Amino acid sequence: MTGRVIVITSGKGGVGKTTTNANIGTALAKSGKKVVMIDTDLGLRNLDLLLGLENRIVYTIVDVVEERCKLKQALVKDKKNPHLCLLAAAQTRDKSAVTEEQLKDICEQLQKDFDYVLVDCPAGIEQGFQNAVAGASEAIVVTTPEMSAVRDADRIIGLLEAKEDMKSYKLLINRVRPSLVKSNDMMSVDDVVEILSSELVGIIPEDTGIITSTNKGEPIVNDEKSPAGKAYQNVARRIMGEDVPFMDLEEDTGVVAKVKKFFSGLVGKEK
Amino acid sequence: MKAGFVENSFIVDVSNARKTSEIIYELSSVLEDVKGKNVRLKLGEIDINISQLTSIRALIECMNSKLEFITTTSDETRASANSLEIPVSEIENKVPTPEFGADPVQSNKELELALDKIFGSEDFEEYDSKDYKYADIEEMQYINEDETGQDPYADFNKQIANANNVQVEDITEEIKEQLKETEKLPTLYIQRTIRSGQSINSDGNLVIIGDVHPGSEIIAKGDITVWGVLGGIAQAGTGLTSAEGNRYARIRALKMNAIQLRIADVFARRPDSANIPYIQKTDTFTPEVARVRDKHIIIQRIYEN
Repeated sequence: MTGRVIVITSGKGGVGKTTTNANIGTALAKSGKKVVMIDTDLGLRNLDLLLGLENRIVYTIVDVVEERCKLKQALVKDKKNPHLCLLAAAQTRDKSAVTEEQLKDICEQLQKDFDYVLVDCPAGIEQGFQNAVAGASEAIVVTTPEMSAVRDADRIIGLLEAKEDMKSYKLLINRVRPSLVKSNDMMSVDDVVEILSSELVGIIPEDTGIITSTNKGEPIVNDEKSPAGKAYQNVARRIMGEDVPFMDLEEDTGVVAKVKKFFSGLVGKEK
Repeated sequence: MKAGFVENSFIVDVSNARKTSEIIYELSSVLEDVKGKNVRLKLGEIDINISQLTSIRALIECMNSKLEFITTTSDETRASANSLEIPVSEIENKVPTPEFGADPVQSNKELELALDKIFGSEDFEEYDSKDYKYADIEEMQYINEDETGQDPYADFNKQIANANNVQVEDITEEIKEQLKETEKLPTLYIQRTIRSGQSINSDGNLVIIGDVHPGSEIIAKGDITVWGVLGGIAQAGTGLTSAEGNRYARIRALKMNAIQLRIADVFARRPDSANIPYIQKTDTFTPEVARVRDKHIIIQRIYEN
């Protein structure tokens, strides 16, 4: 078995790379896939917090690289889903502790045992980024509908295209606020797709539930009622090759909106 | 989740659980203790259908235990139990229920085996826990005091002590010798806050006047004393090999909130129930000391005498 290695990257910080990683990973594992997540954000790790696994980390990726433990010992198993594992980053070291070759090697080893290897990339385009993309053959570029994030995503896509063994990359637009888009105060999904001219894998609506889920260490996909949770679930299904239509973000705005939509036909529909 | 003993039965309180998966997870964390005993399950208001209840019963029976009865306030659960002929008790159990910290390595393994038995074996590779550096850990426990400052284990400790005919705080000659050895070590004295990503190493004892934030690690060959909130990873009594480690080393803090505690080759992690990093009440300080007793790390309140 050869698993898919997908890097989740963005260029700009704070657009939701780690949240995306935790949620897609959890959703894939819930569908019965074997998933391992690698946190490559050495020195500023967060993925363990989002998954609520901070207190279980004994060995990190640096311990693996420096041969203080075997790769399998360093994998932290999720509390609820035994198919989900985390390879944590070291908090007391910096990006230079791991090289591109070493990460490539780790990805190749994990590919044999897992269906999906999700690599959480640090912000920026320096060594940390280079390490994270080294072993990956697919990428998900996370962006928000803001000019600065879109500009950085464009730069990242350029770097990904220049990389020989990168087979495909897809766009995930995070923190979309339909009401602002409607009043022309926010770039629409179509605008972003047009600027970046790339294929879309998901649209995630802004959701206050993300804040509580991050603080609790419980990915939001476990909450079936949350709109962001549903959207992440759909992203995971698209990654697995299913054809899932994009969610109608206007859906929950009430009866009046639904009636209006029924008559006007096209309000709030993307792609 | 809470659990407690009564005669030959084991009461497991999962009345806070909202999903069946949570019940199964919580239950699996006390599997070791449940082994061979009758289990009384407090289910609260969650609705459980017949197949879910069958899974829960199967999990308990995997451990050679018997589901004695359940308590519930849900009609659906009651109906499921009736059709499976599991007795439902009307009486609330009022037995004191101390909290258990689970042993992650052990219980994860047990959980997998148990889940495999129920849901069929998956081709998922077993990780050999013998390969761990801390190979001779049989159990890890992190016994904590509850919010009121009263040690839920106080009575429990006394019972054990009476059974063994020794005092709880008995300091033997051997321990005295060891404590003197620790006194001889040099002491590194640091007067600042240790922040995420920082690492402090000491060849002797380590005294920190200030807080130790989550994400940092403090390592010492001897004792560690934190005059502040200990929130990171603390590792005391470290030797080059596990044989050289000093199990008599202690970790003291004005507020013990450590993610992990390691003393020589013994290891404990913070219970998941306390795993809410953004809440750090610093208005109540209860000075505590962590030490090793019978291969477990125990945390005790430091009293005036």
